[in-house]
Amino acid sequence: MTPQTSPTPRRYFRWQPDQQWEAYLFILPALVLFAVFVAAAMAYSLVISFADYGLTGIKGFVGLRNYQGLFRDPIFWQSFRNTAFYIITVVPIQLFLGLIMALALNQGIRGRTVYRLIYFMPVVTTIVAGAIVFRLLLATNGPINNLLSDIYALFGLPFKDINWLGSTRYSKWAVVVLTLWKNAGFTMVVYLAALQGVPQELYDAAETDGAGAWARFRNVTLPLISPTTFFLLVLQMIGAFQLFTEPFVMTRGGPANSSLSVVQYIYNAGFRDIRMDKASAMAWFLFAFILLFTLIQNRLQRRWVFYEAG
Amino acid sequence: MNVKRLSGVLLLVMVLAMLVSACAPVAPAAPAAAADSAAAPAAGETTTLTWAFWGSPEEAASHQRVGAAFMAEHPEITLEYWNQPWDDYFTKIQALWASGDTATIPDVAFLWPTPRYAAEGVLENLDPYVEASGYNLEDYWPGLLDSAMFEGAHYGFPRDIEVNILYYNKDLFDAAGIDYPTDAWTWDDLQAAAEALTVKDASGNTETYALAMEGGKFLKWVNQNGGQILDDFINPSACTLDSPEAIAGIQFFTDLLNDGYAMRPADLNQAGGDAAVFQSGQAAMIIQNTSRVSAFNAAAMNYDVVPVPTPAGGKRWNGAGGAAWVMSSGSDSKDAAWTFLSWLQSAEGGQKLYTEAGEIFPALQSVATSPAFMNDQPPANKQGIITEAESSDVGGFGFFPEWGEIDGSIVGPGMDLVWSGEATPADQVPVVCEQFNAFLAENGYPKP
Repeated sequence: MTPQTSPTPRRYFRWQPDQQWEAYLFILPALVLFAVFVAAAMAYSLVISFADYGLTGIKGFVGLRNYQGLFRDPIFWQSFRNTAFYIITVVPIQLFLGLIMALALNQGIRGRTVYRLIYFMPVVTTIVAGAIVFRLLLATNGPINNLLSDIYALFGLPFKDINWLGSTRYSKWAVVVLTLWKNAGFTMVVYLAALQGVPQELYDAAETDGAGAWARFRNVTLPLISPTTFFLLVLQMIGAFQLFTEPFVMTRGGPANSSLSVVQYIYNAGFRDIRMDKASAMAWFLFAFILLFTLIQNRLQRRWVFYEAG
Repeated sequence: MNVKRLSGVLLLVMVLAMLVSACAPVAPAAPAAAADSAAAPAAGETTTLTWAFWGSPEEAASHQRVGAAFMAEHPEITLEYWNQPWDDYFTKIQALWASGDTATIPDVAFLWPTPRYAAEGVLENLDPYVEASGYNLEDYWPGLLDSAMFEGAHYGFPRDIEVNILYYNKDLFDAAGIDYPTDAWTWDDLQAAAEALTVKDASGNTETYALAMEGGKFLKWVNQNGGQILDDFINPSACTLDSPEAIAGIQFFTDLLNDGYAMRPADLNQAGGDAAVFQSGQAAMIIQNTSRVSAFNAAAMNYDVVPVPTPAGGKRWNGAGGAAWVMSSGSDSKDAAWTFLSWLQSAEGGQKLYTEAGEIFPALQSVATSPAFMNDQPPANKQGIITEAESSDVGGFGFFPEWGEIDGSIVGPGMDLVWSGEATPADQVPVVCEQFNAFLAENGYPKP
């Protein structure tokens, strides 16, 4: 680029006659679909969130009333706390499990392709089918309680049936277990790819310097896969914020809203209670919250994410 | 023009063609719809009505049989069916109404809860049609029409009435060696029978529960005992579930659950619902509406029904409500829609056909007492169902738009804790009422 004497403002969509205008044609179909079904819909939902909206359209604008109503709504905050619980349990456990599985399958153990297949299978399984199986497993007189009861009996202890899905104490854990089962395989696959990108020379060098297995893991593997960890962290955090299907099919948010996630509450408000205005306000509040969280993570990554020079 | 340019032009043409063809079916539809609404059908022409209902293919087939019978009587009207599964129905019909396109809006639709939609302005006030045609509102069960009213006007006619009765498995009563229930049973009789009917295995797991009932039906006990959930069902100012009578009614059911006689609602749900546990013999009695009859008859079960036992000094009470036929305010053929709607809800028309098919317990009393319902199919004690239906009254739900939200987000979830045994009624009901009252205040109730 030659330096110019007169400063030109930076423009993203500057038309130049010699530009390949056909390129825009190629992306036009996708762009039109995106504009109509995503961008326009999102913009309209932002408008609705400031309006009194019914089945017949916008009845009037109410400023911040829908947002103010949220702050006074105890169920909204309950769903928010539930979602926070899902985030602080699901995200770390899933990263940990995925990494452990990836490390194990990165060794030259026999039949590792089969194991990879097995662990990845839930990712491509329909969540509803998985949830039905888990509901049967977790039933009060189901296999998991029977197993626990056998284990208790081994130690001569009485076992009281745990109501996994029907008590406020355990319902969230039932959702967490299903979510982990469903998603850990994805984490594993991404970690596997990252592990295979760590150069063998570094391990050899570390070993020559007398580093043991833990030291090699701590000082070579972890820093080198930290960009992957960051990517997974952001992705899963957003996924956990938007958790819907898992609690919806496992517990319907119950009992006593104890497993209700924010997104399910949005769904209830919009499609059960016909309050699209309230639902839109919640959705935009959630969006702002996720955006804020992701920005914070982005800022924090400088302290622990290691990018290879060059 | 080089090749690259040419391909670009061709691409542009293709894209434009796609856009145009995508729009094509819409373009001519608009004037057609406008013409429809403007011109009344002349003699000899047929009017086409869109008729919306939810349900499985079997349920749809039943509606279509009724529709065919109507068209045979009224050749001037053609029905088009709009059928969706229950899970999609409400989302999709809301989208149709929101579109405002009279060509696609259903003229007559099956709907619940009616007041919520009436408040949105998408339903037609039926009172002028009732007045003009002299349609008989007296034949409905008491309190039933209230469930489809909004601001004092009728916006729908319930097709059936939910009559919750006690089903009992005769084989299990015989095995326990106790007498069958009667119309005179009280709560004490029910409790004593429950104790005798509950069977546990050696390790303490329950093999047979005496009773299974969905948690959502608990207002039966409350109202039987003289309590009610709201001080006013149209314009409420307070939750009254914390009255001593109401709490005692909730306590009765809670005791059955905590004593292990009744199946906890969460377990019932996991086990596949009351019909499943009744048929498999896991529950000796269930409390449910008449919709289960055809399944139990098909399974050739040895069962009968009685009215639900009442507390000593209490009363019978059945919450009057049912999904209703409504007319869209955006319908472009309202007169024809009324002809169809009033035929559906007539003793010789739809009501009789649905009842004969064993689909419903009819909304019209004259149909319930006619041979269409009083046939020789089981259950034997059909009079017991009539007895329970005669006690129908308001009190099952509020008739204001936000009721569904209160029920779905506050009352139902709040009572879950009682049914699961985590909280006592005395502790939990005031908490529910507090949230309930806060919600009413937030939404401006009572309205001036």
